Amino acid sequence: MNLIHHDDFGPEGLEPSVAELLKVPPVTLKIDGIEISVPRTILATDPNTGRKFPRPTTIYDAAIEAKVAVPVLCHRDHMTPAAVCRMCTVEVGGRVLAAACHRAVEQGLDVKTHHTSAKVKKAVGILAELLLADTRAPRGAHLEGGNELHAVAKGLGIDPAQPPRFPLTVRDRGRDESSLVIAVDHAACILCDRCVRGCNEVRNNQVLGRAGKGHMARIAFDLDNPMGDSSCVSCGECMVSCPTGALSNRAVVEAKPWAAAKTSPVSPDDLLSHPLFDGISKAFLAWNINSVVRRTFEPGEIVCREGEYGSSAFIIEEGELEIFLQVELKHVAKAKGSFRNSLMGLVRTVVPGLSRRETPSEAPDARRNTIPIDAPVSLDMAKPTATLTPADLLFGEMTCMSSYPRSATVRAKTRVRLLEIQRNVLYTIQRSKKAKSMLDEVYRRRSIDSHLRGVSMFADAIPDPAKFRSFVEELRDKVRLVRLNPGDTVFRQGDPADNYYLVRVGFVKVSTRKAGGELAIAYIGPGGHFGEIALLSRMEELGSSVPPGIRTATVAALDHVDLVAISPEDFRHIMDCYPAIKEGVLREARRRVEQNARMNRGATDATLGEFLKQGLMDAQSLLVLDLAKCTRCDECVKACADAHQGVTRLVREGLRFENYLVASSCRSCLDPHCMVGCPVGSIRRRSSREIVIEDWCIGCGKCAENCPYGNINMHPFPTGKKAPDPDNPSRQLPVMQQKATMCDLCASLDGTPSCVYACPHDAAHRVSGGQLMALAEKRLAASP
Amino acid sequence: MIVQELQKIQERCGWLPPEELVGLSTRLAVPLHRLHEVASYYPLYRLKPPPKVDIKVCRDMACHMAGASRLRAECEAVAAEYPAGEVAVSGVSCLGRCDGAVAASVNDHHYLTRQTAEALRAVIASAHAGNAPHAHHHKAKPLGFKIDVYEGRPEYRALAKWLSNPDAAALLKELEASGLRGMGGAGFPTFRKWGAVRGAPGATKYVVCNADESEPGTFKDRELMISAPWLVVEGIILAGLVVGAGRGWIYIRHEYPEAIDAVRAEIARARSAGILGSNILGKGASFELDVFVSPGGYVQGEESALLEAMEDRRGEPRNKPPFPVFQGLFGKPTVINNVETLSWVPGIIIHGGAWYRDMGTRGATGMRLVSISGDVAKPGVYEVPFGQTMRELLETAGGMAGGKAFKAVALSGPSGGFYPARVPVGELPPPFVAKRVPAGQPYFEILDLQLDFGTCGEMAAMLGAACVVYDETRDMVDQARNAVEFYRNESCGKCVPCRVGGQKLVEMAGELAEGRSPPGRLELIRDLGETMGITSICGLGQVASNPVTSLLRYFPADVGAVRGGRPT
Repeated sequence: MNLIHHDDFGPEGLEPSVAELLKVPPVTLKIDGIEISVPRTILATDPNTGRKFPRPTTIYDAAIEAKVAVPVLCHRDHMTPAAVCRMCTVEVGGRVLAAACHRAVEQGLDVKTHHTSAKVKKAVGILAELLLADTRAPRGAHLEGGNELHAVAKGLGIDPAQPPRFPLTVRDRGRDESSLVIAVDHAACILCDRCVRGCNEVRNNQVLGRAGKGHMARIAFDLDNPMGDSSCVSCGECMVSCPTGALSNRAVVEAKPWAAAKTSPVSPDDLLSHPLFDGISKAFLAWNINSVVRRTFEPGEIVCREGEYGSSAFIIEEGELEIFLQVELKHVAKAKGSFRNSLMGLVRTVVPGLSRRETPSEAPDARRNTIPIDAPVSLDMAKPTATLTPADLLFGEMTCMSSYPRSATVRAKTRVRLLEIQRNVLYTIQRSKKAKSMLDEVYRRRSIDSHLRGVSMFADAIPDPAKFRSFVEELRDKVRLVRLNPGDTVFRQGDPADNYYLVRVGFVKVSTRKAGGELAIAYIGPGGHFGEIALLSRMEELGSSVPPGIRTATVAALDHVDLVAISPEDFRHIMDCYPAIKEGVLREARRRVEQNARMNRGATDATLGEFLKQGLMDAQSLLVLDLAKCTRCDECVKACADAHQGVTRLVREGLRFENYLVASSCRSCLDPHCMVGCPVGSIRRRSSREIVIEDWCIGCGKCAENCPYGNINMHPFPTGKKAPDPDNPSRQLPVMQQKATMCDLCASLDGTPSCVYACPHDAAHRVSGGQLMALAEKRLAASP
Repeated sequence: MIVQELQKIQERCGWLPPEELVGLSTRLAVPLHRLHEVASYYPLYRLKPPPKVDIKVCRDMACHMAGASRLRAECEAVAAEYPAGEVAVSGVSCLGRCDGAVAASVNDHHYLTRQTAEALRAVIASAHAGNAPHAHHHKAKPLGFKIDVYEGRPEYRALAKWLSNPDAAALLKELEASGLRGMGGAGFPTFRKWGAVRGAPGATKYVVCNADESEPGTFKDRELMISAPWLVVEGIILAGLVVGAGRGWIYIRHEYPEAIDAVRAEIARARSAGILGSNILGKGASFELDVFVSPGGYVQGEESALLEAMEDRRGEPRNKPPFPVFQGLFGKPTVINNVETLSWVPGIIIHGGAWYRDMGTRGATGMRLVSISGDVAKPGVYEVPFGQTMRELLETAGGMAGGKAFKAVALSGPSGGFYPARVPVGELPPPFVAKRVPAGQPYFEILDLQLDFGTCGEMAAMLGAACVVYDETRDMVDQARNAVEFYRNESCGKCVPCRVGGQKLVEMAGELAEGRSPPGRLELIRDLGETMGITSICGLGQVASNPVTSLLRYFPADVGAVRGGRPT
């Protein structure tokens, strides 16, 4: 038995960390004669609790690695395997066949798919014929999503257009057109369970389920209510999950993120011919047709400028681009920098690169000769410019996923053709295994050199370029690339040590346990590294200040993070072969150990802890009410309602920090959680830090759910359309559409927030997190 | 809690009103779709208000042979005499009362046997007037079987004996020596299952007794639970103590109210006598046991589907591995044994493994209970040795009813398919033919088949506890059609081969029965059968085609008769 028990992964209730997963040795098996080694487990998410847990690597996962195509209908990489369609059945020896998407890999397994086993080929052919005889293609013009059942059948040599061999008895299982957004045709449904998992697991909306039993089973909303009367939020996930078009788009709302730009949308078929989109739902691309545009730039034209906010990334189709820093040593992230500065005494910021350059003397390890940017290359400190080509695939990922400002300026060198994509499209690309492996390959082939050169410990220790190249070659295929979602744990304090990590994209938080809570001791961003202390702790040079082989801190992802993991064996090998690197790493480790100890002693963590807990460090624009001045007159609330069609976006309640009340209005977070998961990309930054909800909002409520501070509200607005009253069909009722509202800092008016303007007592202020901290510190210092 | 809470609402309201479900959703903090998934899945739950009188007539195997479909049609005519919607008549899957065919239920709680249209007419009238029907429920009676080592008294001597020297390894050795195997049909060696759970990592383990006896033609566990419930209770406690489980459940189908009452009473008695609880027989060991009433469905007898029901989900079988001995109830290692398997354990502890082993005949091991029904003179539950021939079993049950000739037998309810009196040797595995068929004889006499796991395994036949016998007048096409309808009706609908294939088999069996099969149909049925057998998630889908594929293989004359001799 090759089962992974929860007990193997430490105490129950704790999520296994990435490190724990990387520890399990790989297994080797054969698929259609091809030998392949795969890790035993991968991370999955518990549908009920949202907890991450390790799930065994399946034969299907391994088949992808071995590049053996196995037909699937009910399986998607990002979903828990259901193994109900049985199309992926394979021979593994034994009386019955196994579903590749569910069966765990085992050492020495000899797998035969329909390519090599006549028995399997016959069986999956019969299954496809059964489904064709039990369903009909969806009615109406809903075929833009393609029909995966027909595609799989064709792949098995079955013509879906021919009458099936089985009796064709498709009972009319009904059609549900009660939703404004999505139509349901039960006769086209193959009960693959993808929509159910999309609704409940992927989106956690908890609306869709299966009803009834046996051949009468079908999908149902809530208590089998019509979709339009159910608690469905029309997020569209079920529709983009559907392989047959049984759930299809009625297209009443259209996302138009580029209304102003002179662009035209790209057809789903066109996109699917690009390898990065291979395997992505056509229905999804059709639904998001306005979230991808093709743009051409003439030589010299600017694609994006450093410091700008945005919500898109770029796929390079054709041509060469120049990526560079426009103004040498210009600080591009002012808001971020001011906050980090104000806390510099408390929180050591190891954000190398752009914000680092402002405080070059803070940490000696930050002396560097390259600058990590939001692209597959790093820039040379002395001459910060580089070239991007179609081989680099993609740039702008961090701005798009985690809403950081653009880190560099990009200009066309030749005539250039780009695909500009919104966050929801990038998110879906990243969810695809094929795309991820392509992006990883780009890193290995193109970026690892400049990434490692950006780590001064390595670059400074091996000044000879030839030697450095051989050092890079040695690591190129050995490193493992790990992607984390916000909140995932890399390792925990007290864990046994394993890998050494370099940060490629995103930020991680380093924290230690303290009586009364957690103390954040550092944030490490692109180009940074961690994990060396525990690996070095057995060496005498580090002294006895840390426990040997044990993690001294917990590291967790703050946003979408890509890490490069170097195994302890490879790390030791580097230490042994390159004494200069060892010296540098040791020096850095010693400095970190000392600094951690100093911080643990000296932190005024009561105030800081509260500050961090409330997420205030992330805020760029807080509405704070000075409770010493506020008379509770509610003028600010009234002014807000007046400014926004009578619906207030401000509630004069909220968290308290010292003597300030942080009112419930949008904080314009640096990492806006609200943007994650918007199905149409209507909540976004235009070109400034303000977050706006565009009027193509479909009212799904995902942003309201995601905002940790409860600052987004849902309100019905008239759509201008009318529909017959179900109780009295002769009468027309206005159709209302739920839409999200939030504080836009009165951007639509004159830019001065009405609430601040209206306060008669000078108690309402708009400040950043850093400014609030400074205010509170000042007041604390003044108090006896 | 969902399954029990829904049962409570239904007991209170008679059905599951939407406002009650909304309330329950809030109370349990469970989304509505989760409640509806469960409520719409199990046959016990009603999503609409019930009619005043609700008659359900069993439609499977023995009841089908006894004229259940005609009886149902006659009852529907009776129902039509009442105001619309007040009397409902429908079919129901096997009620486990095949020895009293035709069986029927009235308003879910009352079960009737040996029904005729006249009798049901009176029942409907009485129930419509508001009277509770006089149910034909089974009562405890002396079994007179060797399995009842205490001869009708709940003595728990085996438990006392083992607790005086609680050596788990020794008990497993004794079980191994006895050769005791799972009596639910699969025949997995009991010592191995217990040993696996005992050796599985983890502090929390469970024992679940599968008393969801729903295979058409099977009703032996019903008799054991009604007449000697202490045996299964003692067996579960011993299993729990040996494998290190602290809790156990006995999962009983809701159509067995007599068995539920008997087992509940025995558990209460055992608890008050210190046989269950935190200090068993004063020896410090502890074990808790409860009854879990199944919300219904044949597939719940599949062990992982049963666990899904206990975990408040749709009772759909899990993909395996992992197997329940490693990841069972709530992901913990779990022993799942049949009622009879556990009920043999006390005798084996008291008299030793050899006692059980030596009860077999012709070199086979052990004894078993078998339910026999259909065209036999005395349908019922018999205790017979493994190794007995089919002929001897038929004699035990009084021979053929009405002196008619034997035509066919189902050895494992509908699951194993049908065997004719003479099986052509060409259809049998050559090693079996070499060993069991006299040289030169072109057929194997099925009445000579030794009924034990070894011999049936050699013949590639399934050996269950349900033996159904057919006489010369039976049309096997009709029987096969009835059996595939059963599987279609009872499929959970989770996987494609069973959900869609089951329905297509019914449609194609209908064509066969009505003589309208298009060319190439029989080949397609065989291919579909093979595909369902190797691609379905659980045993239900894997065996669902056996009735119709065995029909094609062994009863060409019956197929030809209805098809009017047309070529396939």
